[in-house]
Amino acid sequence: MNIEAVKERAGPREFSPADDLPREYREAATRMIQFHANSEVMGGYLDKEFTRMAPSLDRKLACTAKCQDEIGHAQLLYRAAESLGVKTREQMLDELQAGEGKFLNCFHYPVDSWYEAPMIDFFVDGGAMRRQATLKNTSWEPYAHAMDKVCFEEGFHVKHGEDILRELMRSSKANQERTQAAFDEWWPRILQFFGPTNDESHHDDFAQQVGLKTVSNDELRNSFLNMYVPKAEKYGLEIPEYPRIFERDDGTMAVREEDLDWDEFWTIAKNDYPGSEVQIGSRRDRQEAVAWVRESMDDWEASAGDDGRTPAGAD
Amino acid sequence: MEPAEAELFRLADDELVLAERYTEWQIFAPTPESDLALANIAQDEFGHARLWYDLLEDEFGYDEADLVWERDPDDFVHSTLVELETPEGDWADTVVRGYLYDVAERLRLEALEDSSYAAIADRVAKVQGEEEYHREHAQSWLDRLTASDESRERVQAAVDRLFPHALTLFVPTEHEHDIVEAGVRTRSLAELREDWLDEVVPALESLDVEVPEPGAVVRPEPLGRDGSHTDDWFALHEEFTATYHELGFDEPAELRGENA
Amino acid sequence: MIWEVFRQEEPGDRHTHCGNVHAPDREMATLFAQVQHGRRMQTNSLWVAPKDEIGEVDADETEFGGTTDKSYRWAITYNNIDASFAEEVAESEADQEEHAEKRGGT
Repeated sequence: MNIEAVKERAGPREFSPADDLPREYREAATRMIQFHANSEVMGGYLDKEFTRMAPSLDRKLACTAKCQDEIGHAQLLYRAAESLGVKTREQMLDELQAGEGKFLNCFHYPVDSWYEAPMIDFFVDGGAMRRQATLKNTSWEPYAHAMDKVCFEEGFHVKHGEDILRELMRSSKANQERTQAAFDEWWPRILQFFGPTNDESHHDDFAQQVGLKTVSNDELRNSFLNMYVPKAEKYGLEIPEYPRIFERDDGTMAVREEDLDWDEFWTIAKNDYPGSEVQIGSRRDRQEAVAWVRESMDDWEASAGDDGRTPAGAD
Repeated sequence: MEPAEAELFRLADDELVLAERYTEWQIFAPTPESDLALANIAQDEFGHARLWYDLLEDEFGYDEADLVWERDPDDFVHSTLVELETPEGDWADTVVRGYLYDVAERLRLEALEDSSYAAIADRVAKVQGEEEYHREHAQSWLDRLTASDESRERVQAAVDRLFPHALTLFVPTEHEHDIVEAGVRTRSLAELREDWLDEVVPALESLDVEVPEPGAVVRPEPLGRDGSHTDDWFALHEEFTATYHELGFDEPAELRGENA
Repeated sequence: MIWEVFRQEEPGDRHTHCGNVHAPDREMATLFAQVQHGRRMQTNSLWVAPKDEIGEVDADETEFGGTTDKSYRWAITYNNIDASFAEEVAESEADQEEHAEKRGGT
């Protein structure tokens, strides 16, 4: 199939590993799914902090379960990417620890307090769910299948995040103020989560033409604002004056994009932000520390005969 | 303290602290699949801790704040095996720790199946249902890690380091006599220790791992069971309770299903 | 290596493909699969099979159901018989209609 045929046929779940797809499609899809998978892993580096901090046993259980789901999603996504035949999971994981893998802007900022938990678990995750729901209609079928399971699981993540926000904003004045401070800091990053306006985005057009993406960055961000600004206000958070949010003629909300720091965004996109170094460095150190286990398992697998079903040395 | 109460604290504290250490692997485990599996075990252990703490609440009038968040770290009675910090990247440490603990846990739960304290006996099956996977998981990893020289050496180092601490699983306290006498537990700690040694020593030796002679082991000074602990525990306790104190909520949030 | 995972929700249901796991052997594959694919979804049983052992034939290579008119084997063809007299017949007809639509006509 050539690229024109791909564009012609593009539609929800249209292409699978059985199709003979052009390199251009496979590479674009790999880039997009790898980014998504990397983001699940790197989001975990923030989220796991909250497990240790959680102020009740049940919260701790919810935090650890959420963290586990994220790695589960990474597993599904790396498989969906692997099935394009461009890169193996091992390659993608190697790239991530080498600082070559890209991931969401929000996961380049280390966290250090519980006040940040609802920023990640409610707002960032809420944004992610908006996007993921639209990806159920992506043209790469294995990606859509992964999204079915991801969306099935994520509902509790966002509800748990909202519950954390609710608890904080109904507690002491000091807690409310510190939650507001965290919100002020995270709000612009969250708005940038959806990326820049469509015409500035490198890969957006092509991804939409071949059906990998079905909804633009702008549409996603605006629908996010319509849903989540009222939620923030409901719990008593004040929306910062900048970046300015405005109401459009049709009554829906949008953001003045010139109010956002796009230099910082593009620095992050190159993995060059100071926080990028911290987060990627942590990934690298942790993965190197357990490289010996993976090598040991590879040796085991290699000794296990042709099909891995009858390992030598096993009973 | 009632004998059942004393036994419940041992059960709950072991599971809580082990789970807290297991969660340190989340996102850091060798592969996504092994990460998921260990996280599952961590959640199970937290769940077991919660189940035993719930019983302390229902039967002895404590609340979660008393039991976990505001209890003095010197009052926790878990074994020192579960509290030790895991050296970075030392998956063998976690596999060995899990194995030594899980075998002891199975023996202890079997000795609680016919507990005279009905509320304990009633909950044993629920816990056992999940421990089976834990043992299979630890055993599978042990078999594979000991199949090559380099990783077997790491297993050996972990056994050397952890075995003396594992023996504190069986250290009795002043309540031991009453626990057995009242039939709360149907086997004594001395008997459980023998059963445990009969199982783990030959099993490890069959994998070419040497096990220290139990009688000759220099016991670590802190025994865990009497509230004395290694520095690792006090640092861990400080870390996981700091946010609770910072927030000052009225009570720890509960998130329970209707039939929990 | 990669293992394909098949999940059965309830006893008696079919095992349907639900994903894969990377594992060094079958025993580890079953351990990993039960967490990754049986943790959140209702599960009664899982199968794992080495990916390379699975053969495939698809609609590009063959014509499933043949190419000549086989309308005689579809209930909807017998449209002068009212199926509503028996629930099970009506249901069968409805199911067949649904599948017929998927196949793109009868």
